[in-house]
Amino acid sequence: MKTEFDITLKIHRYDPGASRSWVQAYHLKAGRIIRFVDLFRKINEEQDPSLAWNSSCEHGQCGTCAVRVNGKPLLACELLVENAVESFGKTTFEIQPLDIAPVVRDLVVDLEKAYDRVDRVKPYIIRPAKPPEPGEAYPISTSELDRYVNATRCINCFCCASACISSHKGFLGPNAMLASIVRMMDPREEEKKERMEILYSDNGVYRCHSSQACSFVCPKEIDVAHFIALAKEGKFSGDQSG
Amino acid sequence: MNGAIKITNTIRCDVLIIGAGGAGLRCAAEILEKRPGTKVIALTKVSHPQKSHTSTAQGGLAAVDPNDSVDRAIFHMFDTWKGSDCMADQNVVKKISEGSWEQIIWLENRGMHFSRSSDGKLGKRTFGGHTVNFGEASAFRAVFEADRTGKGITDTGWGETMKRGISFMNQSVATELLFRNKQCVGSVVFNQKQGELIRIFAKATVFASGGCGQVFKVTTNCRQNTGDGLALVLRAGFPVMDPEAVQFHPTGIVGPGILASETLRSVGGILRNKEEGAFMEKYAPKMKELAPRDMVARAIEIEVREGRGIMNPDHKIEHVWIDLRHLPDAIHEKEIPEVAGFFKKYVNLDTKKDLCPVRPSMHYHMGGIPTNEFGEVQNMTQEVIPGLFAVGECAAASFHGFNRLGTNSILELITMGKFAGERVLEYMAEHSDTGLEAGAEKSIPQFSSYMEATGKESIGTLREDLRNTMTQKVGVFRTEGGISEAIETIKEIKERANRTALSVKALTMNQELVNRWELDNLLDLSLVIAQAALNRRESRGAHFREDYPERLDEFNDHTLIAMPEFGAVEQAGRPVDMSVYEAKREHYEQFGLIQRKY
Repeated sequence: MKTEFDITLKIHRYDPGASRSWVQAYHLKAGRIIRFVDLFRKINEEQDPSLAWNSSCEHGQCGTCAVRVNGKPLLACELLVENAVESFGKTTFEIQPLDIAPVVRDLVVDLEKAYDRVDRVKPYIIRPAKPPEPGEAYPISTSELDRYVNATRCINCFCCASACISSHKGFLGPNAMLASIVRMMDPREEEKKERMEILYSDNGVYRCHSSQACSFVCPKEIDVAHFIALAKEGKFSGDQSG
Repeated sequence: MNGAIKITNTIRCDVLIIGAGGAGLRCAAEILEKRPGTKVIALTKVSHPQKSHTSTAQGGLAAVDPNDSVDRAIFHMFDTWKGSDCMADQNVVKKISEGSWEQIIWLENRGMHFSRSSDGKLGKRTFGGHTVNFGEASAFRAVFEADRTGKGITDTGWGETMKRGISFMNQSVATELLFRNKQCVGSVVFNQKQGELIRIFAKATVFASGGCGQVFKVTTNCRQNTGDGLALVLRAGFPVMDPEAVQFHPTGIVGPGILASETLRSVGGILRNKEEGAFMEKYAPKMKELAPRDMVARAIEIEVREGRGIMNPDHKIEHVWIDLRHLPDAIHEKEIPEVAGFFKKYVNLDTKKDLCPVRPSMHYHMGGIPTNEFGEVQNMTQEVIPGLFAVGECAAASFHGFNRLGTNSILELITMGKFAGERVLEYMAEHSDTGLEAGAEKSIPQFSSYMEATGKESIGTLREDLRNTMTQKVGVFRTEGGISEAIETIKEIKERANRTALSVKALTMNQELVNRWELDNLLDLSLVIAQAALNRRESRGAHFREDYPERLDEFNDHTLIAMPEFGAVEQAGRPVDMSVYEAKREHYEQFGLIQRKY
């Protein structure tokens, strides 16, 4: 088994002060289970403390470290060196920030701007249904919850929005759609009308071209396209046939 | 922007919340629900509230359902008290346990996607240390959202506060508290994205800044958990409480530190050393792998210390193995699919075929900013500091004492968040004037010195030296000699830290500058953790002194430790609240100085 790899990262950099963009190559020796976030850290510690990148939990639960590696949006904390070499068939990797919002510096994008699209679909219950009795939980059957529970697993890493072939032209994006679809399917949401207005607006689900790129790149393996297809057909509740 | 560090803006608000994880969001939601229109600003160090460390909590939320035919709040109180090794404050334990279910309903009614039982009600499961009838049988007390309960809390808190008009300031850190007439009137804030120091005046300021896992080399905590809030409180001249109470989970996955749950051992996983020998029977002949967390953690550390660990060549961390290869496929697939998935994803190993590397991982800081049961911050003499509140992992009320039970941490976030929110509203009603002026800001010389420093030291190397020192000498095992050496090393690193020149001179998204600031925070906190661990000449809960292996009654007080200047430590005690015991009501005898034996 190969235990060490000679890796080249060609990182797309941006300096906001000088409004300068360039690609910088870093050569590193890295063990097989070193992750790409570890490579970025290694660059900071050994070669270039000025390289800016983003992460938080570093185990696939928060989605902060999403970048494009050879064009594919993914979480840098989940990509091991040996797996990257195997799946891309090379030891040189082009690293770019996600193209879902303006770049702040290097690999750090303005997530606030990206989140604006999620905020517009109101990712909460707009008008909550009353529980059977005050102080009680609203009952939800396991079969009803199972229909949409996978959509609740989204962490807003925006990999899907980056991969989506239409999300750059007015579409609010697959993850924003998912946040709204969850509440369309959630029996506790009574404000379905406003939700439908957003979902079927000019920025809504009909912007989707059904490429299924979202499902293909989702690090949480959510079948995003399935939920968008349900929304296109208006199949939000289990009792609708057809 | 380039050039001299200065305050570029002043903002006024009603409430400033420093941190937007579970505790900060719950506190904000309480304020915005009860007093619509309140101007609340919540800072978060991460790029969005959803990225907070709370989102990584998996297991569940302990809460006694009043309709449960078996469970009672007093049983939960007992388990928490016992688990704390008699260092939790009983008034806090009572308030949280009795208020817990209401908060579960609050979350559910606002859209949290709790897992359900077949009747559509909230599902419940058991968790280590949670019992009914004072240890008699396991309690079904944890409600949960699959393996992402923390995410459910964050998402719900984020949505509710957004709905009610909160202002978030992302990628921003508080760098200094502001006071006027001994009253906290806000904070200086560094907004990383704009690269600006700003002043935020607030009628009330709430710390909800999270834990400090990055003090140690292997941790389950997020990259941003550098104990910033505690360092700020220390620099303002106030104490932190019980900093030496640090919980290590015995089996973190090497190297990212992710938890490999207890389940691995309960389904029959065997811990093995370098020679592949099963070693637990040496330390716990009967219980072996099923011995309590702290005992397993110590056994692993002894193996490593005595040269029977294995060095991971990539992450440069010594570890032992957990062997699951002998278990039937069905167990790998049905009982441990998540952890098996973690090993596959992060170390590329197959639990069916490979030995998997584990090492104790810093998991939770029981210590923190001292507060009363309302989240009001206290000074060295236990007087409330007007206008200053603290909740969540950065705070110590103390609900967990010297050892936290699983599922109690995220319960604390939502209950104390709510209680502090209520208190903030009362405080605001009594104190209508906002701060007008505050003294000279220390953040300006502090950040200027970082920008102007010259020398060849590396921030990254110093941080790693510090984390290795803390892991080796103030970690799972502590001795007088080791801790004293650590204190010397910490002081040396502090000196060297003055010789770290920054390569980026612009302030916008200057990660290096923030790393430099974090290094100071880690150093301050490491020193008080070490000093408090040195002075506590006993073993209690997660604090284990090899040279003083027994719990001693003379150490029954909380530690209060202040450090107005680096190295100048002052220490005092705070009595543990034993009001449940002293009230002499039914079952009071269970709340005396009992032994933590399972």
